[in-house]
Amino acid sequence: MELNFVSVEGHSKNYKIAVGILGGLFLLGLICYGISYYKGHYLFGSSNQIPWGMPIVLTIYFIGLSAGSLILSTLVYVFGQEKYKPIGRMAVMLAIALIFGALIGIAIDLGRPENFWRLFMFFYWNNMTSMFAINGILYSGYFIISIAYLGIILSGNKVWMKRWGYLAIGWAALVHMGTGAIFGFMAAREAWFSPIKPLEFLTAAVTSGVALLIVVLILTMKFTGRNLRKDMVISLSRLLIAFICILALLIFLDKMTHLYAPERQAVLYSLTGHYAWIFWCLQIGLVVIIPLAILLILPRFNQKLRSIKWIFIASLSVVVGVFFERFFLVIPQAAFPQQYYPGHIEGIWGTVGTFAFTPVEMLISLGIFTMVGLLFLLGLKFLKALPEKTAEELAAAAAKSAPPEAADTIKTETTGGSVNIPPVENQPSQ
Amino acid sequence: MERWGMVIDLDKCTGCQECTIACKEENNVPHGSPEEQKRKQDPYWHKVIAASEGEYPTVHTEVIPMPCMHCDNPACVMVCPCKATYRRHDGIVMQNFRRCIGCKYCMVACPYGARAYNYKEQEDLPYNRQDPPLRLDLIGCWPFPHRTHGMVEKCTFCFHRIEQALMEGKEIGTDVVPACVEACPAHARVFGNLDDPESEVARLLSSRTFITLREAMGTNPKVHYLTK
Repeated sequence: MELNFVSVEGHSKNYKIAVGILGGLFLLGLICYGISYYKGHYLFGSSNQIPWGMPIVLTIYFIGLSAGSLILSTLVYVFGQEKYKPIGRMAVMLAIALIFGALIGIAIDLGRPENFWRLFMFFYWNNMTSMFAINGILYSGYFIISIAYLGIILSGNKVWMKRWGYLAIGWAALVHMGTGAIFGFMAAREAWFSPIKPLEFLTAAVTSGVALLIVVLILTMKFTGRNLRKDMVISLSRLLIAFICILALLIFLDKMTHLYAPERQAVLYSLTGHYAWIFWCLQIGLVVIIPLAILLILPRFNQKLRSIKWIFIASLSVVVGVFFERFFLVIPQAAFPQQYYPGHIEGIWGTVGTFAFTPVEMLISLGIFTMVGLLFLLGLKFLKALPEKTAEELAAAAAKSAPPEAADTIKTETTGGSVNIPPVENQPSQ
Repeated sequence: MERWGMVIDLDKCTGCQECTIACKEENNVPHGSPEEQKRKQDPYWHKVIAASEGEYPTVHTEVIPMPCMHCDNPACVMVCPCKATYRRHDGIVMQNFRRCIGCKYCMVACPYGARAYNYKEQEDLPYNRQDPPLRLDLIGCWPFPHRTHGMVEKCTFCFHRIEQALMEGKEIGTDVVPACVEACPAHARVFGNLDDPESEVARLLSSRTFITLREAMGTNPKVHYLTK
């Protein structure tokens, strides 16, 4: 199969509207960030009890998606699964956009972002026993490695693609385990303290990465008018089932180690208290029960459910559910008061922390989301990430007489006649 | 070598909160509105908690004043990515405002909730105290003398008083003590050098039963509580 990659021309109305809306929301987020920088973090919902809020939720969510989608792109470039080839470039591009969003999320959560550079004075002004400092190496290295990886993929050097792919996959796994260690090594926070956290994070990352990839794959194929190969989606969904099962097992083990030990109040509260519905409905429901029901159980009774539409719904449910898993970890699990002294602590020091969804924080979060989307859209325009339409698909699209702007969005190398991009860069594969 | 520590006699403590107020005055810790207090966004360097056990009528309440424990093995120093939190040679755990990036990791790691984040720009900018002249050999890097929002703050054992006293040659523990110790109307608090066998704190600790909070965390706090 000859496979060429093309870029979006970016002159269509839809593209411009999308960029305009995302850009506007991003600017709004930027303004809100400026306000929070000058006024202080009281505009956020976090408190001394729940120190981290939505920016950190978004950060670990994006890092998960990023690491997951990078690991999956190596399926193509390292492990030679050629059937996933059409999405390989897009997965790497998405990984870069997402890790950038994650780094911005960290910077927004800092109270004194102008001192950010101190994080990168490794071994000198930096305390290397801190998981943040170690993750500083991991994140910045990951950012550089994934950009170089995209460059190598675009240049089409097969040998380096494979070598760099090994580095990228290992580093992505490290990045995610490091992120888990930020939470898992905190002995003072009972609900977080768990040796299994890094592995749980890694599994959740890969799970959400596969799910995101299925979602992006189906949407892109639909958008570009390419024929979606059903066997590819089915095999990806099998992968998703396996990862969901591992994730469910790890979550179960994590909760059980906490519930079995006598000091169980914090975890017991998180599973039965005010915020428990986030865990049971949004985390377990969306990540485990609904996707497994759709992908694994229901198709045995109704063959119609084994369709691309239902796989899409299950994957979307996982992508949303993993967000709530991160949310549940960062905010409700930190809310339980610490046991400074045996007994029931009275008054304000013994109450469960509250988290307010303030407009400034929500707009900033939305701004981070839109920034990632904007980066992805611009990447589609300036890099050749989309698979080119085949001749028969073009004919089919013409026969269906698609609306003119949809047909205009794709500039193929043969018909578009671009001057500035030499044809050699448009690597034919295989 | 000094190793400053505190002994709090729970038998004498009445829970009057004078220590909290004295700390707020001495270090100019901002007071928050009721709304902020409800959301736990107002900074406290010192707090007094009440822990009750049992049900009425056999209920028993213990009042525990909690400054920073100034642990010998501090979790916050371990996790601070920028060396903003450090343990001085005399055992005081300090926060350097020049270096703090406000990542709040230390607040997550502290088992005593001793750390508070400064959520907004306060009206009174400078600390309400006379800053002694710089002595880098004693104190290391001088903390940022102005309070700005976006940084984590904590109890300093009133290190400025200790520095002043060392320079003037006064006796620490008898002539000069931290503000909370000075303010305690019941004389429940004693401050001094834990390594000096002649000091009042060492005498109390050797003669009476004492506890430290959350010993299982392995932090070795330097604030000791004499039991009832």
